[in-house]
Amino acid sequence: MSSLPPVVRIAVIAPPGGFAARPSIDALRRLGGEVEIDVVRDSDACLVLGGRTALDLVVALRVPPPALASLRKGLGPDGPPLVVVTAPDDDAEALAAFRAGACDCVSAGADQAEALSVVALEQIRRHRQQRERAWLAKRIGELQRYNENIIQNLNSAVIVVDPDGTVSYANPAAGAILGGPADAAVELEGRSVWDWFPGQRAHDTRIGRTLDHGLRCQSAETQITRLDGTRVPIGISCAPLLGDDGAQQGAVATFQDLSEIGQLREQVLQSEKMASIGQLAAGVAHEINNPTGFIHANLYQMTEYIVDLQSVWSRVRDLSKAVEARDWQAASAASRALTATSEEVDVEFLLSDLGKAVRESQEGSERIRHIVQDLRDFARQDTGERTAADLNQCVDSTASIAWTMMKHSVVLSKEYGEIPDLSCFPMQLKQVVMNLLVNAYQAIEQKYGDDSGQVGHIVVRTQAIDDGVALEIEDDGIGIREEHRSRIFDPFFTTKQVGAGTGLGLSTSYNIVRRHGGTMTVDSQAGEGATFCVWLPCEPPEQSP
Amino acid sequence: MSARPILLIVDDEERILNALSRSLRREGYTILTAQTAERVRELLEQHPVDVVLTDHKMPTTSGLEILSLASQLRPDAARLLISGWPEQVPPDRLADLGVRELLPKPWDDGELKRVLRSAVED
Repeated sequence: MSSLPPVVRIAVIAPPGGFAARPSIDALRRLGGEVEIDVVRDSDACLVLGGRTALDLVVALRVPPPALASLRKGLGPDGPPLVVVTAPDDDAEALAAFRAGACDCVSAGADQAEALSVVALEQIRRHRQQRERAWLAKRIGELQRYNENIIQNLNSAVIVVDPDGTVSYANPAAGAILGGPADAAVELEGRSVWDWFPGQRAHDTRIGRTLDHGLRCQSAETQITRLDGTRVPIGISCAPLLGDDGAQQGAVATFQDLSEIGQLREQVLQSEKMASIGQLAAGVAHEINNPTGFIHANLYQMTEYIVDLQSVWSRVRDLSKAVEARDWQAASAASRALTATSEEVDVEFLLSDLGKAVRESQEGSERIRHIVQDLRDFARQDTGERTAADLNQCVDSTASIAWTMMKHSVVLSKEYGEIPDLSCFPMQLKQVVMNLLVNAYQAIEQKYGDDSGQVGHIVVRTQAIDDGVALEIEDDGIGIREEHRSRIFDPFFTTKQVGAGTGLGLSTSYNIVRRHGGTMTVDSQAGEGATFCVWLPCEPPEQSP
Repeated sequence: MSARPILLIVDDEERILNALSRSLRREGYTILTAQTAERVRELLEQHPVDVVLTDHKMPTTSGLEILSLASQLRPDAARLLISGWPEQVPPDRLADLGVRELLPKPWDDGELKRVLRSAVED
């Protein structure tokens, strides 16, 4: 690419009464290509012309040195070259012209035409080269500033590391994430990038894999540990930095602070959870209300039993007093009264039923305690750290809450296999189980309606498969229509009535499973039911919640 | 007709049946209990029931279905419904079935006894 126009522009200064301009003009015309020549009377006119267009050359015909000097000054140091035609063989004039800033001189005479063309050509070429170089230098400078501006102002952090992991460039966003708050900013360039991954082997990190094997990664989630020990979740993309010869010179990593995204994600999860608790509320309330009802009635009744038993007890004391006083007549009367009262209140029944009422009430309060415990377990948030958890236990406690909602229309079978513990976020997995169970239940409700007395079936299965655990939730509900199957994991996609679903359940579940390094698939026949299969690895790949 | 009024109580939850029976033990009723619609039908066919008191939300049937059955088999029996969510029971259905009272669950023992006494007296 060239910055210069193809037309060559030349100004010829021909002061009146000086050399005829014609031979010079003719010589210049013969330079070839497209040449535009303007003839002006003096150097001032030339400067005016030069101010209007970029001149490639100024040819001055016998212009006196002082005027030449001011012309040179006027054209500027980067201006067009000045060639002077002097009187024939007048070395003094030529010398004066050079001193005044001429680039070259041609003496008028027989060789003038040929000499002028050679000199002009050379000067034009040299000047054009200079202009080209200056333009390129300016352009490179602009591009550098342009790129630098972009990288400096990018919200994403950018770092470049050498093959040994030394940071050779970091933009301000990188400084903000890696260095922490501005007052604790650290000099990044020259430090080893592994300083931010303590306790990890370099070649296990994303950057390490890029440096070692030239692997690219996109939008992977990981954590860095700042020099002050605080941890920051980041999303990182990494690419090898290649030289012109294709050899790897290091790696470029771009990354974002995911703390806020993580918090938002946690909020979405939590509100999704609360939404499912909303759906469960009626069932849970019913489950709590029944035991509350009979405990309440039993307590009331037991206070009456106690009153009756107290009346029996007062007869016993009367009898005891009479016996101690050896008043056998009074004792006999007290004994009859005791028998009468005992029969009246049916003390045998009271004693046996009191025990039964206490047992039943205890069992009822135990049921309430369980429901509340399960609900609390379900509503709790994860700690932010992975923990080892038994998926069977997660499934079971979640199923017992979901059961309160569906017990009137569903037979729930549990087929738990022998499975290893998972390193996971158990609360998130409970959310997945809940979403799948609620969906299964709603699919059954949609198929049979509310009150037909028809009962649907849900089977929950777990088993150990391939260094992980598979969870299947199968229902015989309405199934998923072919045209919906590819969209069910999309956010906000729902076929449910307004209010029956947020449209986020499956997409949230899918994302939770994916972040655990697992997979989630569905198998369904419209009208026949659906089976959701989730597989989770025991040890997920290096990723954060 | 027996001297003791016959009361049929229906709930899918045995503990509730026990608690209601306890509350009404000294009220002078012959108390029958049932947990399913089939059992309700049998008891209604076998006994001249005076009052039917039923829970509303049950796994395989509803209180309204039980009362509808009662109105066919024992049209003279007083019909009472007990529910944790009385406001969710459609009022027009209550009127259609001639339901005498809609009691809340948990119930108040005194109110329960009063309502049953008045149902038996009429």
